[in-house]
Amino acid sequence: MTTTRRVAGKLGGLLLTLFLASLLVFFSRFVVPGDPVRFLLRGRKPSEEAIAQVTAQYGLDLPPWQQYLKWAGGVLQGDFGRSLQYRQDVSVVLGERLPVTLTLVVMAGLLIAVVGLVLGAVAALNRGRTLDRVILIGLTVLGAIPSFVGSIVLIAVFSVQLGWFPTFGSGEDLLDRVHHLILPSIALGLVFIVLVGKVTRSAMVEQLTREHVEVATSRGLSRWTVLRRHVLRNSLGPILTVSGVLVAGLIVASTIVEAAFGIAGVGSLLVQSVDRLDFPVVQAIVLIVVTAFVVMNAIVDILEPWIDPRSAAGAGAR
Amino acid sequence: MNPTRNARPVALGAAVLLAAGLLTGCGPAANSTDDADGDTSLDWKLTTETAAPSGDIDSFTFASYSEPYSLDYAYAFDYSDNQVLANVCESLLRLNPDFTLSPALAEKFDHPTPTTWVYTIRDGVRFHDGAALTADDVVASLSRHLDPAVGSSWYSVYQNVAGIEKTGDREVTVTMKTPDSQFNLSMGGSAGVVESAATLAEKGQDYGNSTGLVNCTGPFSLTEWKSGESITLTRNDDYWDEDLRARSGEVRFVFMGDSTARVNALKSGDVDGSWMIPIEAVPQLRASGKGDALFAPSTAVGDLVISDLEGPLGDVRVRKALLLAMDREGMIQASARGVGEVTDVFTTETVWGDASEGARTAAFDDISSYEQNLEEAKKLIAEAGVEGEELTYVTAPIGNDFAVISQATAAAAQSIGLTLKIESVSPAAYTALFSDPSAREGVDLFYTSWYLSSPDALEMYSVLRTGEFSNYGNWSNPEFDEVVNQAIATDDPAERSELTAKAQQIANAELPWLPLFEGPVPMFLGERITGLDPSMAFLYYPWAATIGAR
Repeated sequence: MTTTRRVAGKLGGLLLTLFLASLLVFFSRFVVPGDPVRFLLRGRKPSEEAIAQVTAQYGLDLPPWQQYLKWAGGVLQGDFGRSLQYRQDVSVVLGERLPVTLTLVVMAGLLIAVVGLVLGAVAALNRGRTLDRVILIGLTVLGAIPSFVGSIVLIAVFSVQLGWFPTFGSGEDLLDRVHHLILPSIALGLVFIVLVGKVTRSAMVEQLTREHVEVATSRGLSRWTVLRRHVLRNSLGPILTVSGVLVAGLIVASTIVEAAFGIAGVGSLLVQSVDRLDFPVVQAIVLIVVTAFVVMNAIVDILEPWIDPRSAAGAGAR
Repeated sequence: MNPTRNARPVALGAAVLLAAGLLTGCGPAANSTDDADGDTSLDWKLTTETAAPSGDIDSFTFASYSEPYSLDYAYAFDYSDNQVLANVCESLLRLNPDFTLSPALAEKFDHPTPTTWVYTIRDGVRFHDGAALTADDVVASLSRHLDPAVGSSWYSVYQNVAGIEKTGDREVTVTMKTPDSQFNLSMGGSAGVVESAATLAEKGQDYGNSTGLVNCTGPFSLTEWKSGESITLTRNDDYWDEDLRARSGEVRFVFMGDSTARVNALKSGDVDGSWMIPIEAVPQLRASGKGDALFAPSTAVGDLVISDLEGPLGDVRVRKALLLAMDREGMIQASARGVGEVTDVFTTETVWGDASEGARTAAFDDISSYEQNLEEAKKLIAEAGVEGEELTYVTAPIGNDFAVISQATAAAAQSIGLTLKIESVSPAAYTALFSDPSAREGVDLFYTSWYLSSPDALEMYSVLRTGEFSNYGNWSNPEFDEVVNQAIATDDPAERSELTAKAQQIANAELPWLPLFEGPVPMFLGERITGLDPSMAFLYYPWAATIGAR
């Protein structure tokens, strides 16, 4: 199987997955009880004509499949419809919030990558010793802290008590924003640091006990070279696989952290929109998260053979 | 034919607000239910004014429990929308903190015939973009409520309106299909807001959202709306009313849905104040020394809505028995740390401003009291022969008080031999109870905090007439309908109040809903600022204008 064909196959699968996901995302709204127009009324008495007009304005008078086609056609052109709660284009609402969430996710991602990899690697290199145990226990404890508890503790200590960080908001310029997002990114990253740390440790431990590492070491190669060429490189596969899940997970987990820190990101928007039956916004966000997840997995799949040629060889042989 | 006034449930507003209580309460909220000895009671009193400011201030920040849905006055319907809009957009009349109405953009109004209201538009008023206010702006603004394509939230105020016309250079005449004293009373709220006709035309569908913004005449202009995060108002230096010239150069509203975040921001001094703070947070806020927790007069009453009169609750004896079985003092203790008062009627005295002495006595003294009395309650149940019957109560995971009230109602029902099945639904599904009859199928009762937007108690009772949108149990009493309709057609406030008192007496005797308690609006005013007259009129009065340096 050639690389091109393999990549094309992956892309085809990707598009099919996205198409099915879009069907699921769109039609799930019809399973949820509650009429969006009734929601728009918020308990007020409407006139009959007004209900009819509003229903038509949001295209809710069309049969579901036509609504889907209209929606999907719009999405392909970047038009996600109009938010019921904000009376605004969904793309505008998302455009104002995506940068904040992306900054938060990138900052948390960096934190996770650096701290998780370092802790995992240090633990692996000291396996069985006290340091390894301390790291493992520490990670387990951290992993047991739900993000909202982490958020509350961080705000209470570093914002309210010490006054080092603001208690809410996402800041104005880049520096200010980073300052605002430090605590939230720590709260967001905690659980995932544990994940990356543990995967890194076990992947490296597995490599360290492999024959080729012992052979390399016995040949007199320096410890650093062995680590870099053999251990780290071969450990990257599982770590990368985890990272794919991680990015989507971060976006989802950001809902809690954003709410706790009063940050206007996509996560808090999702929670609010679900509660307010703002279907166009919910559909857009879920579709974006699903796409991010699927695309990340596809990238990992495509990259894997280059990192670890054995997986490509295995795939070809089957 | 059956106009619904603008009374309404605080379905969403209260929902979010009360959720606040649950999350913040961590410690204190939990033990308030356990301590029956009253140790957790808060020390509270109503505050109607605070010290005058010592001078102007550059800016201050208020936290809101939620982002406004829209600042288009046609959709501004809840706490979060109106607390902002009240400072930016003005109405024909102004609702003052003491719940009186005074002239605003209409320098006067006349009522030459029972079905016409004539508004004389104030001269020399400018919109924030500099354009002069004209009668055409008034016609364009009011007419939007009649346009089905707009789908105004304030449609009910307008449904008796036959026409809105310019009848002079500075004169607008509103013609009604039938005499309606309530129309004019609603002109102090969002239903009477005036926007520039040119702006309405120019912004179209985006009018009032975070990109379209608004262009009004108030003491502040809306300068920035960062979606999901904040709204900034800037002082209007051209403001027509010297008495309400803003003392602050800027006001910033920050949206903090999470009550812990909101309370932390207040405790740290990052935010200078907030309306509707969680009662559970009051002790911590007081301890923080960053400002004062105040209690503002409210127009809201907490009620159990009876939504099915076909079931056991169709018998007035059963409704009375259930109310008699309730420990409402205990409910206030457990749900609001003792802040509030038991009431047997559906309105607060705050909305009886123009009432005659006789009407007040009739409305608040010559009524039945439903103080807890299990013996009496059991007797009524036996008479009605409904022992062992089951009732369905719908609630939502919204806040500590929602939980407390549902449990207390279940306990009361059980103590008189009824079974109460509590169904918990999502906040959105709970909101649907108020607008969707199908959501109320099989539901006997649910809790609401119901507030009024006009300074007249009649607003409440117009809602309970036969066939009304918000008469959720389809309660019908011909005598009541007649009294209310007569009152609506009565212009003299004193005379009207006597009819309204009669309506209040009938509702008190018949209990179409079960009144539980009334409570003030808890709010926080930071140590940097003062000059506010706390009042639930903050929904329509430019309260931020009077705030300056402490």
